[in-house]
Amino acid sequence: MNKKPLPSFITVIDIGTHKTTALTAQVIDGRARMLGFSERRTDGVVKGTVIDVEKLHASVHEVVNDLERVSQRAVEQVYISIAGPSVEGERVKGICIVPAHDGRITKLDYQQAIDSAKRLEPPAGRITLLHMRQPSILDNKPVGNPVGQQGRRLEVSFWRITMEEGNVRFRVSMANGMSITVRDFILASHAAACAVTNDSEKQGGVCVIDIGAGTTDWVLYFKGHILCSGSIAVGGEHITNDLSIALRISRETAEDLKHRFASAMHRDQDVNQTIWKDGDKSVGDQQFNRGTITQVSSLRYQEILSFVRKDIIVQLEQIFSGHEVKLDQNFLPSGVILTGGSANLADAAEAAQNIFGVTARVGIPKFDNSSLQKSEYAGVVGMMIAALEDAPPLVRRQKGFMDILRDLFRF
Amino acid sequence: MSTTPSILLVGLGGAGCGMVSRIAPHLPSVVRVALIDTDASILNTTEGQEAFQIGRALTRGMGTAGELAVGQAAVEAEEPALRRLFNGYSLVVLVTGLGGGMGSGGAAPLASIALDAGATVLSFATIPFSHEGERRKRQATEALEKLATKSHGLVVVENDLLALQVEADASLSAAFSAADEWIAGSLRALASVFTPGALVPVDPAALKTILEKPGSPTLFSYGVGEGSGAALIAAKAACDSSLAHGPGAITKVGSLFVQVTGGLNMSATDAFEAVSIIRKKFGGEKTTLLGACVNPEMGDRVEVAVLGASLPVPKPAAKTKKGAKGAEANQPMFVFATEESIRRGVFGNTPLTFRDGEDVDVPTYIRRSVRLTPAS
Repeated sequence: MNKKPLPSFITVIDIGTHKTTALTAQVIDGRARMLGFSERRTDGVVKGTVIDVEKLHASVHEVVNDLERVSQRAVEQVYISIAGPSVEGERVKGICIVPAHDGRITKLDYQQAIDSAKRLEPPAGRITLLHMRQPSILDNKPVGNPVGQQGRRLEVSFWRITMEEGNVRFRVSMANGMSITVRDFILASHAAACAVTNDSEKQGGVCVIDIGAGTTDWVLYFKGHILCSGSIAVGGEHITNDLSIALRISRETAEDLKHRFASAMHRDQDVNQTIWKDGDKSVGDQQFNRGTITQVSSLRYQEILSFVRKDIIVQLEQIFSGHEVKLDQNFLPSGVILTGGSANLADAAEAAQNIFGVTARVGIPKFDNSSLQKSEYAGVVGMMIAALEDAPPLVRRQKGFMDILRDLFRF
Repeated sequence: MSTTPSILLVGLGGAGCGMVSRIAPHLPSVVRVALIDTDASILNTTEGQEAFQIGRALTRGMGTAGELAVGQAAVEAEEPALRRLFNGYSLVVLVTGLGGGMGSGGAAPLASIALDAGATVLSFATIPFSHEGERRKRQATEALEKLATKSHGLVVVENDLLALQVEADASLSAAFSAADEWIAGSLRALASVFTPGALVPVDPAALKTILEKPGSPTLFSYGVGEGSGAALIAAKAACDSSLAHGPGAITKVGSLFVQVTGGLNMSATDAFEAVSIIRKKFGGEKTTLLGACVNPEMGDRVEVAVLGASLPVPKPAAKTKKGAKGAEANQPMFVFATEESIRRGVFGNTPLTFRDGEDVDVPTYIRRSVRLTPAS
């Protein structure tokens, strides 16, 4: 696999429903040293879908300007995150019947299988963005690197990430409008997983759920590879909305109460516990029953997690059709890891543990800079790590992404 | 066999009259309908029904303006005339919307007049939407307590719960018409069995064996089924109806009255099977009264209505409003919003996100019908 030469500077932009974050780092000896970081509220995105292009454009522009000011470097190339309901994943397979008499697989055979998998056209109106390697199957047995091994039938599969054409076009033209080229796209959930898990956890089996403001993106690793991924257009913003409807308060107040009092578990002791909105007994202060807040928030949070669980089971049934796969501790020894802004909700891990029946924890990104060691920055930190690796499981396309776009836009 | 009406359906107040006049055309002839209000303009709009304007001296033909005392005085002033109205009916069904002046103030005195006249009194009362305001809610709750002691059976229809029954994208008017339809269907089903010529006729007076004493907690449910196995579908719908599972609703009763109405195709086995489903769910060990009726107009539809009563339970000690704790308990912070835009909040104008046929932007607790109640 021919690696792209790494630029000595890497810039990543994570556009979320609630906030847009950007990070620039200098690569020294394979490690990223942070040069600048900027963060802004995102406007114009609801539930992961762009509803106001101009507003989004303005907020991304501001983030990039901030970043350039802090890092004192002009941004030239960026990695952009992709997430949300417009991103879809599916499994594509390529098969090669080994021609050699002795059944030994050559590099060419392997490449042939990969090519046949990648040749598959995406559905109309969608663009293939990423091919993520899954274990190769040689005569019904999973193998690591098949080259040099003996067998008859080699099956190579990829988890293919596609996105609606308009969405891709829009992101690229937004970057181009700022005289920035898009180096590549990174799947946001994969990025978050890079930040909060290590290779041994991915090897064993782990599910990373990135609960953002507008969307919940999840990815499941099995034997070190992405097995499946998905996205749901429900997130932390829904908890805020539920609270503001239930308590008849403004969105801002609901957001504040959510951070201070909401929980993913509804407990008996919360009932009858009176809490104050401001606590300073000033005019206009309101009191609420904490039980109501935890009731509303826990119902929504647990529903989000059970949606994810349901989706995972549907995907697993497709992938392992004919075999019975149970989503249990044996399948996911490293359990479930929650990241994203809404992973900070109290008792989130406990709720996940109850719903998935496996161990669960909140993932904090591993990064040198302590200010970014919060679960809501798992996405942007993970993008940096993924960009740094720029290697499997992200398999490079033969045709560069810009080539595809050039074809698309004829420039 | 007398064909004179033996059931009197009374609509009291603006909401009650509105509901009764809308459902009156669909009722069998065995039911006599009467509308009672102070407001002449409301009575004028309901043509073709017997209307009794009361309290002319008090309101001069206007409404009660939400005043309980006015509603109560208006009923009490007309007592002799109302007593004559109730004379000779074995079952009086009182339909009213609590929260205003006429319904909240007049329901209990009116029911007590009917009781004195020797009738079995079955009351249907609607409780206003939570967001109609604290005052109306309080008036309704107080009126409900009074009405319960004066009625053999009291069926409380919470508008909030009704709103939960309609589709997520239904309009406010749809929520109200759902309430009408529910009550109309229940009454039609109840009334049809008292019609002479029913398959298994029931004497209205026999209801007394079910609703023995005024003030006992009442169970009421209603379900409709269509197509093959309609009776079973209807029975299950009646079992699952959220109106039988509202706050404070009872799930097991001693005496049970089950009424099945179906088309010509409905077989006896179907009817009995429906009854056994209902009995399994709600009990009815002491007495079970079965009524069945065939109505050719029903086609392949079947309606099941369930009425039951358990013995009166001793009331928990009246809540004392002491200091801050009392204030907390009465805080009006639990809301059931109904309108689409309110239910979706900030997602009001965004594309719908559907999962399993549900709009997931609507709060989970609304979709799951979880009632957020302050713990007492």
